[in-house]
Amino acid sequence: MNTKNTIQKCKENNYSAQLEVYNAYKNMMFGCAIRILKSREEAEDVVQDCFIKGFEKIHQLKDDANLGAWLKRIVVNKSLDVVRNKTKDVWLDETYILETESEVIEDDIKPIISVDFVKECISKLKEKYRIILVLYMIEDYNHREIGVLLNIKESTVRNQYKRGKDQLLKMIRKEKKI
Amino acid sequence: MKLKDFIQEHKEEFNQEKISEKIDVSFDKLLKDKLHQPKKQQVVYLRYISVAAGLALLLSVGYLLQNRNSTSFEQIELLANLDDDSAGKRLEGVYKFNDEYVKEDTRIINRLIEIIHKDENANVKIATIDALLNFPSNEKIRKNLIKALENESKPLVQIKLIKALSILRENRAQKPLEKIINNEQTYPIVKNNATLAMVEIKK
Repeated sequence: MNTKNTIQKCKENNYSAQLEVYNAYKNMMFGCAIRILKSREEAEDVVQDCFIKGFEKIHQLKDDANLGAWLKRIVVNKSLDVVRNKTKDVWLDETYILETESEVIEDDIKPIISVDFVKECISKLKEKYRIILVLYMIEDYNHREIGVLLNIKESTVRNQYKRGKDQLLKMIRKEKKI
Repeated sequence: MKLKDFIQEHKEEFNQEKISEKIDVSFDKLLKDKLHQPKKQQVVYLRYISVAAGLALLLSVGYLLQNRNSTSFEQIELLANLDDDSAGKRLEGVYKFNDEYVKEDTRIINRLIEIIHKDENANVKIATIDALLNFPSNEKIRKNLIKALENESKPLVQIKLIKALSILRENRAQKPLEKIINNEQTYPIVKNNATLAMVEIKK
C-alpha cells in the first residue's frame, strides 16, 4: 500500500482507499483494543468507531505521516475512554504513597513458559496495572507517553508499572513454580 | 530472561487477534452510512436546484415558442418590405399589412408609426395612415397621428392626416389644426380640410 497516496485519497473521502486502510490496519487496531478492554464485542465497536473518526479527521494528518501509529493512538485513546467511563478513577496519582515495599522481585523468567500463559496472567491483573503493563510492554509506549494518555504523572506510571510487573512475575512463578 | 524481552521476542504471538468477518460487513455499511451518504440538506438543496432548472427550462421553451410565433416568415417578410429602400416595396408592405393583418402586432405598428414620421415618400405615408386607421382604439396610434400632423409639411399627407383625425374625432387634434389654419404658408386646400375637420371634431 502506497501510504502517501492512500492518505491523499482518504482525504478526498475515497471509499476504496478507506476500505484499503481498514483492511490493512483492522487486526492491529482490534489487538490494541481487546488488550485494553478484554471484551471482544466492545473492542469491535471501538475499532469501527475509530476508523470512522480517523477518516473524518484525516485532513489533520500530513501525507507522509505514519498512518498506522496515528490510528493506533486513536484506538488506544478511545479504548481508555471506554475503560474510564466504566470504572471511575481507575488511575490516580499516587505520589503521596511512600514506597514502603522493600521486597525486590527479580525480573527474570524462564523462556520455556508459553505466551498464552503470560497472556492469561496479564488478564488476571488489576485493571490499573494491566493496562499500564500492556501499554508499556506490548504497545511500546514509554512511561512519559503513558502518563499523557492516562493523564497522570510519569512517576505514578513508573510506580504502578513496577507494582503490576511484580504482581505478574509473582503470578507466573506461583503458577509454574519457577 | 527479562519479562519485557520475553514479550518482545514473542510479539507476533501477542498480536494474533483477528477481527471477525461479520464486522467487515457491518463496517462497510457503517462507512457508507456515515461518510458516503448525501446529506439531507444537500438533497433539499439539489431538489431546489432541479425545480429552479425545470422552471427555467419551461420559461425558456415558452419564450422561444413566443419568439417563434412573433417572428413568423410572413412577419419577417413584411418588416423587411417596410424597411426596404424602395418606396414601391414599402408601399407593398403597407398594403399587405392592410389586407392581411387583423391583429395588432406591436413591432409592425411601431414600424408603421415610424414611417408616418420619417418616410420621405408621401404615398407610403398616406397608405400607412390608412393602415393605422384599422386600429382606432389604439392610443399610441392616435397620439402619433396628432404628433405627425404637427410636424408634417407635405400638403397631401397633411390632408390625409386631417381626414384621419376627423374620422377618429380626435379632440386633441384641435391645436395642430388651429396652427395649420393660422399658418400663412399652408396651402388653401389644406386649410379648408382643416377647417372642415375642426367643425366635424367639435360636433
